[in-house]
Amino acid sequence: MADPNKVDPIHQFQITDIVSFGEGGVSFTNSALFMVLTVGVIALYLLLSTQKRSLVPNRVQLVSEMLYEFVAKMVSDSAGKAGMKFFPFVFSLFMFVLVANMFGMIPFFFTFTSHIIITFALALLVFVVVIVYGVYKNGFKFFKLFVPSGVPGYVLPIVVPIEVVSFLSRPISLSVRLFANILAGHITVKVFAGFIVTLGSLGFLGWLGALLPLIMTVAITALEFLVAALQAYVFAVLTSMYINDAIHPSH
Amino acid sequence: MAKSRNTGRPPSDGKSGSLTSDLAARIRRAQASEQAPGDAETAEANRNMSGWNRGMRLGTEFIAAILVGAGMGYLLDLWLKTGPWLMLVMLMVGFAAGVLNVVRSAAEMNRAAPRPTAAIRVPDDEEDE
Repeated sequence: MADPNKVDPIHQFQITDIVSFGEGGVSFTNSALFMVLTVGVIALYLLLSTQKRSLVPNRVQLVSEMLYEFVAKMVSDSAGKAGMKFFPFVFSLFMFVLVANMFGMIPFFFTFTSHIIITFALALLVFVVVIVYGVYKNGFKFFKLFVPSGVPGYVLPIVVPIEVVSFLSRPISLSVRLFANILAGHITVKVFAGFIVTLGSLGFLGWLGALLPLIMTVAITALEFLVAALQAYVFAVLTSMYINDAIHPSH
Repeated sequence: MAKSRNTGRPPSDGKSGSLTSDLAARIRRAQASEQAPGDAETAEANRNMSGWNRGMRLGTEFIAAILVGAGMGYLLDLWLKTGPWLMLVMLMVGFAAGVLNVVRSAAEMNRAAPRPTAAIRVPDDEEDE
């Protein structure tokens, strides 16, 4: 960023190859690197912090236990006792998204949740789990999800397509919400930070003016931390709600 | 017995009931004094957070349904070669599904949120104008 007038807020989302295997083939990108790092950090933290299993937990173990209880309460609140079967799934998703978002808040780190293909893959995973488990558990009755009870037969041709579209829109809304929040937030931070650089190159008055975007950048960074945690929470809550639909397919 | 409560040692037996009841009261007092100052601030932050959350949720639910509806119609049109008609129909269906999604998530949020007291609700209603 030597040239103050050329601040590129999109540059942070560029995917670059770190190791490529063969011409035009699979490559290990910076996105993949951060996914591996995320999983590694989660696994290391949870394993090390719960290693002692002390009855009176120290701080590190307490954080792990609070995360566990937080997600367990969320799952059992929205999907009931039967939903606890999916607790490992929801917990993994929650931790993955949470740590990925938090990683993204560290400067120079790549935020892979800002790519829709990642969030869409996660949402699709949820969707497939819901459908497969719903059909496995309830058999044909799972498709009652599309036929609300107490609706007279002659409106069913209208209601059923609406219900199907409503159901199919779930992975889209789930993935777009996470991706859009993270993408927009990171671009906003970068744009405001860019204003500081641009104004700062104008001399003394520019420095005074640059104070305003500086304050904004600090405030938005704080907001971004909030959004990062919140979106992980929303993702996990909606996942457990959809799982609830798979277990009890009736409105 | 000469032992006083201030020593902080648990009594051998007999008086344990009264000591624990006192302990519970002290814990309650401590919790009350610790939570009171930050409470309003936390509640405010929570409201802002859930407002953002709610807005994002309703918006994406609505738009996603329309996109899915239109996309399905487009693909059906490509497959059946029926011009733009299925896409138009499915766009409408998607719109209906979006409204349904919004209504459903709003109802869900209403169920989840604690019922506001009358004192809070009245100024809220007037803010909307």
